[in-house]
Amino acid sequence: MSIQSGSVAAVDHTKFSSGWTKLLWPVWAIFLIAGIAGVFMRITHGHNLAGYGSYVPWGLWIGVYFVGVGISGGAFILGTLGYLFGVQGFSRNSDLRISIILSVSGLLPAFLGVWLDLGRMDRMMNILIHPSFTSMMAFNAWMYNIFLIIAALTWFLSFRDSSPWLKPLLILGMFFSILFPSQSGVFFEAVRTNEFWRSPLLSMLFFVSAITLGGASLLFVRSAMLKKSATSEDLSALDSALNILRATTLIGLLVYVVFEFAEFSITFWNPGAHSPNVEFLLFGDYRIVFWGIHLGLGVVVPFLMLSTGNTRLWVIASLLSIIGFGAARLCILIPGQVVGQIPGIQEAFQDPRLSYVYHITTMEYLVVLLMIAVGMTVFYVGSLLNKFFESSSGAR
Amino acid sequence: MKKVSEIMDRREFIKAGGLVGVGVAAAGAVIVKDRTGLSTEDSTGEKTAKNVNTLKNLKPQAGEDDHVRMQRELETALSKPVEKRKWIMVIDTRKCVGCQACTIGCVAENKLPPGVVYRPVIQREVGEYPNVSLHFLPRPCMQCEKPSCVPVCPVKATWKRPDGVVVIDYDKCIGCRYCLNACPYAARTSDFGRLYTSGEASGAPEGNQRPIFGAPAPWEAVPSYEYGKSWNRKDHGSPVGNARKCHFCLHRLEVGLLPTCVTTCIGRATYFGDSNDPQSLVTNLITKYNVQTLLPHWDNKPNCYYIV
Repeated sequence: MSIQSGSVAAVDHTKFSSGWTKLLWPVWAIFLIAGIAGVFMRITHGHNLAGYGSYVPWGLWIGVYFVGVGISGGAFILGTLGYLFGVQGFSRNSDLRISIILSVSGLLPAFLGVWLDLGRMDRMMNILIHPSFTSMMAFNAWMYNIFLIIAALTWFLSFRDSSPWLKPLLILGMFFSILFPSQSGVFFEAVRTNEFWRSPLLSMLFFVSAITLGGASLLFVRSAMLKKSATSEDLSALDSALNILRATTLIGLLVYVVFEFAEFSITFWNPGAHSPNVEFLLFGDYRIVFWGIHLGLGVVVPFLMLSTGNTRLWVIASLLSIIGFGAARLCILIPGQVVGQIPGIQEAFQDPRLSYVYHITTMEYLVVLLMIAVGMTVFYVGSLLNKFFESSSGAR
Repeated sequence: MKKVSEIMDRREFIKAGGLVGVGVAAAGAVIVKDRTGLSTEDSTGEKTAKNVNTLKNLKPQAGEDDHVRMQRELETALSKPVEKRKWIMVIDTRKCVGCQACTIGCVAENKLPPGVVYRPVIQREVGEYPNVSLHFLPRPCMQCEKPSCVPVCPVKATWKRPDGVVVIDYDKCIGCRYCLNACPYAARTSDFGRLYTSGEASGAPEGNQRPIFGAPAPWEAVPSYEYGKSWNRKDHGSPVGNARKCHFCLHRLEVGLLPTCVTTCIGRATYFGDSNDPQSLVTNLITKYNVQTLLPHWDNKPNCYYIV
């Protein structure tokens, strides 16, 4: 592993320009078509084809929603910090715009997932029109929308040669992008009657995962956006950016695991704290999601890949860590819901929707594919707009 | 990489500080306002007192039936302003025989669709053969004094009324199910819009009785009258998509009727009344017996008591 500060490790660009990004088109098309099928199922059958119910009220879409929020916050924080501090690879306005576009691309699909999850999709705007700020959900909804406005303003101002409002607005945007991923942890902590969720570490876990997700997703898109026509200045900036993002992702993965160990290690030393939720997660039905997908595929494998100098592996590692954080979100979300507090309630009145068992259904998976396709679309359209305005205004 | 002093000039720094400061102040203000706000949509005062006198020809007498007594006390409570009443429920688990009449009565009264239940009766087998017994525990909404479901609602669709009943405004609820997760008693269920006679109905009768591909049976469209309004689930009307819960049959209380689960209880195990009335049957019961509440460690302070 060679993470250098000051001078950056040279990146083998030939591995980026081998045309692998062309794969993204069929992936996008498949995800879009499959996702539309999923939404069709959702619209025509309501929630009846979903795995969640009244006792496990939130499922996969909410988990993926928090991944989108993390990507959004993390990408904005990293892009802004790099821009403000003039870090090579982040210091140009065009670099900043990539982070802003990615940030919006993470947030909009997250909204889509939550919207489809609502029982009354027609009343979505109530959360903005009649909010109750005692609820973290309303607070987050407002923060996301203010953040989107700030992101749009900073994106617009970034095309100007020098705007006295760009940096102040970036600071404000960064303030929100620190706030909303960490407050996503409070979203769970605020449920004071849930032993599993009532941990102050959740905010830190969500914040660290946001930074890591931001690093990993920026690493992916910055690699994907390299053109054969890139100038030596572009290549040098990319070298710097990729090395920094790789280091950010590596450190983020480590810190997340340390926090997670702090969260769960108590159960090993204090048998009394061995709750059924933790049992379910570490040794029960969710052990494959936790040990296999989250820790194995999402932490260990990306860590090893990022430790090599093989840049193609970095791209794969970034994708795997994003998937791993999706699993990590489910490892918080689902175990917190599958253990009822009133023994026998599930058997008292039997119905498929009154069960503490949750299995993700085909419809839920398909809708997630649409969320990804929408994110890809927003990013692509944003990139096209970047190019269009850069060429028409001569902005850098 | 720039030094910290090179990041922005003083003017930009002041602007950034101002923007963040305004953001923090605004966030703090709205949170404090909503946290301390005592606003309620419910009317209070003398105009909320009701004169319901169905027992005018039946004079109070010693040893009268518990239901008659509760009915009389209900009418007395209704004659007071709403904020002077406090509805509570007392369940004598020693009398409950697990017949589920209250569960079914509630389903019929509130037109509950599949998967929505307000008052399940939990059955627990205790001991080992031959020393074995069955225990039953009806579980309505606890109408908590400090309900954990209320503050998490993002749209002010649920609140605690002055008489202690936690209610849901079906016209406001967006169906986010945050309150379902916040209730430790699992007393809230989501109305996913299912029908007993449609394709997805589990346990629906087969053959002609199950018009899977046709219109649902006409009785599915019979409205419920929860909260004193007519709710028709046809065409995805509320409460489809909403959170739903027991409300102590508020629509019945308002017209001088005891909750359905009280009147359908064959063992007379469920008592209901005004705990602000020191002479009421429920007040007598909770002071006479060593009553318990469910999950007291969460400090929700339930208003449903169990005699065990």
